[in-house]
Amino acid sequence: MSLLPFIASGIGLGAVYALASVGLVILYRASGTLNFAFGAFGGVSAFLAWQLGDWDIPAPIGWIVGIAVSTALAYGYGRLFAPRLAHRDRVVRAVATLGLALFLFGGMALYWGIGVARRLVLPTDLSFVVLFGVRLSYTRLIALGLSLAMAGGVGLFLSRTRIGLAMRALASDRHISAAIGVRVTQIDSLAWLVNGLFAGIAGILLANISRLDAGTLTFLVIPAIAAAIMARLSSLPGAFIGGMVAGMIEALLIASSPEIANLRSAGPYIAALLFLMIVGTGQGVGARE
Amino acid sequence: MSEMSKAAPLPVMAPPRAEIPPRLRAISIVAVVGAVSVVIALTCGGYWLSNFTQAYCMALAVLGCALLYGQLGLVSLCQWALVGVGGWVSLRFYHYVHPPFVLTILVGGIGASVIGMIWGLPALRMRGLYLALVTLMLAGAFQSLVTVISFPVGGPGFLGQVGASGNDRINMARPFFASSDTAYFLFVAVVTVLCIFLVEIHRRSKPGRAWALIRKNEQMAAASGVRIVFYKAWAFALSGFLAGVAGALLAGLFGQLDGSAFPTTTSIVIFIGTLLGGYDVWLGAFLGGVLTRFIPALLIDLNVNTNAGFMIFGAALLFALRDPLGLGGQLTLLAERLYGKFQAQRAS
Amino acid sequence: MIKIDALTVQFGGIKPLDALEAEFSATICGLIGPNGAGKTTLLNVLSGFVRPVEGSIVLNDAALLGLSPQRRVSLGLRRTFQQELVVDELTAMENIQAIADHVSADHASARREVATALDFVGLSARRSMLGRQLNLFDRRRVEIAKTLIGRPKVILMDEPGAGLNEVETEELRRLLIQIPSAFDTQLVLIDHDADLIASVCVETLVLDFGKRLAMGPTRAVLDDPVVRRAYLGRE
Repeated sequence: MSLLPFIASGIGLGAVYALASVGLVILYRASGTLNFAFGAFGGVSAFLAWQLGDWDIPAPIGWIVGIAVSTALAYGYGRLFAPRLAHRDRVVRAVATLGLALFLFGGMALYWGIGVARRLVLPTDLSFVVLFGVRLSYTRLIALGLSLAMAGGVGLFLSRTRIGLAMRALASDRHISAAIGVRVTQIDSLAWLVNGLFAGIAGILLANISRLDAGTLTFLVIPAIAAAIMARLSSLPGAFIGGMVAGMIEALLIASSPEIANLRSAGPYIAALLFLMIVGTGQGVGARE
Repeated sequence: MSEMSKAAPLPVMAPPRAEIPPRLRAISIVAVVGAVSVVIALTCGGYWLSNFTQAYCMALAVLGCALLYGQLGLVSLCQWALVGVGGWVSLRFYHYVHPPFVLTILVGGIGASVIGMIWGLPALRMRGLYLALVTLMLAGAFQSLVTVISFPVGGPGFLGQVGASGNDRINMARPFFASSDTAYFLFVAVVTVLCIFLVEIHRRSKPGRAWALIRKNEQMAAASGVRIVFYKAWAFALSGFLAGVAGALLAGLFGQLDGSAFPTTTSIVIFIGTLLGGYDVWLGAFLGGVLTRFIPALLIDLNVNTNAGFMIFGAALLFALRDPLGLGGQLTLLAERLYGKFQAQRAS
Repeated sequence: MIKIDALTVQFGGIKPLDALEAEFSATICGLIGPNGAGKTTLLNVLSGFVRPVEGSIVLNDAALLGLSPQRRVSLGLRRTFQQELVVDELTAMENIQAIADHVSADHASARREVATALDFVGLSARRSMLGRQLNLFDRRRVEIAKTLIGRPKVILMDEPGAGLNEVETEELRRLLIQIPSAFDTQLVLIDHDADLIASVCVETLVLDFGKRLAMGPTRAVLDDPVVRRAYLGRE
């Protein structure tokens, strides 16, 4: 049985996971915080976009508002809450974002309900292309293109611009960076902003490709984290590839027998788990946090 | 703390708060949980009695979570999944063998303990963040798995399922000495007290000291002869055991467990309860656990959408992180201060 | 007795220890050198936290390399660290009990050894005080007491005198001198206080850039012009 159809059908989902994974790694590298609320930010963006569409406001405005709000939420958290925990260890900072994720998840579930079958329809759904016998809507191809462009763009930004350099310095050593004049709060805020932007876009795409559901969108973050883990939380290309692979594995599982399909959400977790156990994280006891 | 080290070497004055001696602490555990339980047993029926029974089970789960976080600084985000494992194992064991209830509880505890160790051990060598991630992912995987395979209900085969009509479902029986709702609640209260004692004994003896050293600095612990992986595994085993016991008790409460009742979010809420209650004292686990069940139950009773509970817990987490003591910790500090004053007065 | 042979440690492009050869045979040995000379790295290699790329270490006929830190402890190696490592939530006695749990032969000897150690360092009266209630010197005493448990053979101390005032340093000096005879063990001491080293250590090894600069009777080593130049040249 050829794998190509599954690879093709996994393109859309993979692109979303790739985008999410890259967004997570960028923020982690810059601020040392793993943002569990990434999916929730995306969910807020998608729900707002859908809601405005439901009120007959032109779709593009809905997308812009959704992405803007998710970006603002992330920026706001980065500016107001994150600094208070800056001196705590990474686990505590990550767990705080978990609280934020739960808060947003509760809010979305409260207002829009859970288990209501919804999809965010995008105009590009109507046209498609046939690849390896699989029909791919334009949306999925755009998702791939957008992911590549954004990931590539951020990669170039980090390596070619001065602010990017400052961000990498911060990732490497916070205290020394602050001591030599890198504007820590500014860079941090920028990293959170980018994170919110990525989340907003990823949320809208996922709500189209998968489901517009508070749970699905909030817990997008888990396969995204699995992919980021496979990139050792540091490599951008690795995060991208990890995301694509996670999406394709999930597509593969969906397309196989119905029993396995039900377990498909466990796929990325198990892959990341095995990866971690076999390859390790490259750090040992006593390694610098 | 470090301010004291810069002080001149004068004899240090008697501290304003005194650590409560072991015997008094043991009495207070029985007294507090006992008093609360008696009040609940006398005043509650039906809905609230069932919810408080569940709340005590949550307290056991939180006790395990607090053990890992308070003693070792390890974040485990899969505690509710381990409760589910304990429930599954105990139901499976019950339907095979129909043993005395206490044995079922132990088997459930051991089952969850073993699974917890298998999950946790590979992650122990990694940075703490990876453990949090791995446990969260496992909670997610368990949620998927148990939604599909559900819990044993006396049917054939390993999974113990029966047909869709569900008429042949067999419930797990409660122990003969605790079959009424009130009696079962009090039974659960007794088990809770015993488990609190189990943890306290650990904390005050060799494993507790080893954990304290590991928490302070792993190299120093190694240089003190502590086998780090062994003691971390022990903590994991104990934490998993407590979750498993909670699962078995829940299975006994309802007779069966629902495959859709073990979402990832509840594991997160348990961790939040750990922080809110205070991870360093037994009272923290008790209060935190009760809160994690009490708040949703209250919301349902008031006809408020339970998703508001997630908002409450999420926001609470953000604020709980700033206060390491938690509610239980603050109350214990108060008790220690009062005890210190009492001691000072007795001395004078 | 510790024999070190051709010991080399490499981190990236840096060699904190470079083909080091030395022998610690005196009852109390000093280990000094300018900042960055490799002293703490040497202790970390001895303890088992850093793996050398080359070389060997022998402790009283037992080859140490390849052994876990815990195994080395059971062979009689003990260690204090530069930073504050007394557990705040445990009492002084519990902190010391924590090592007795793993190195003492049984409960009875553990109790005896802990009491002896507390008494030796002068903490018996304060043994029930919590770690966070102890001042700096008392915390040092706890850490020293920990090294005296369970038949130590070689005790490594990393700057035990740091942060102490004159009275405390004198008390420390008195304690350190008595350790070898009271506990039948050897002591290796890192410190920046030349007077402490001079008054306590019989022999001293001087490290510079990870290599042995000088080794011998302490007074001779401290007066050695080569050694003085190494210190002065760096400051």
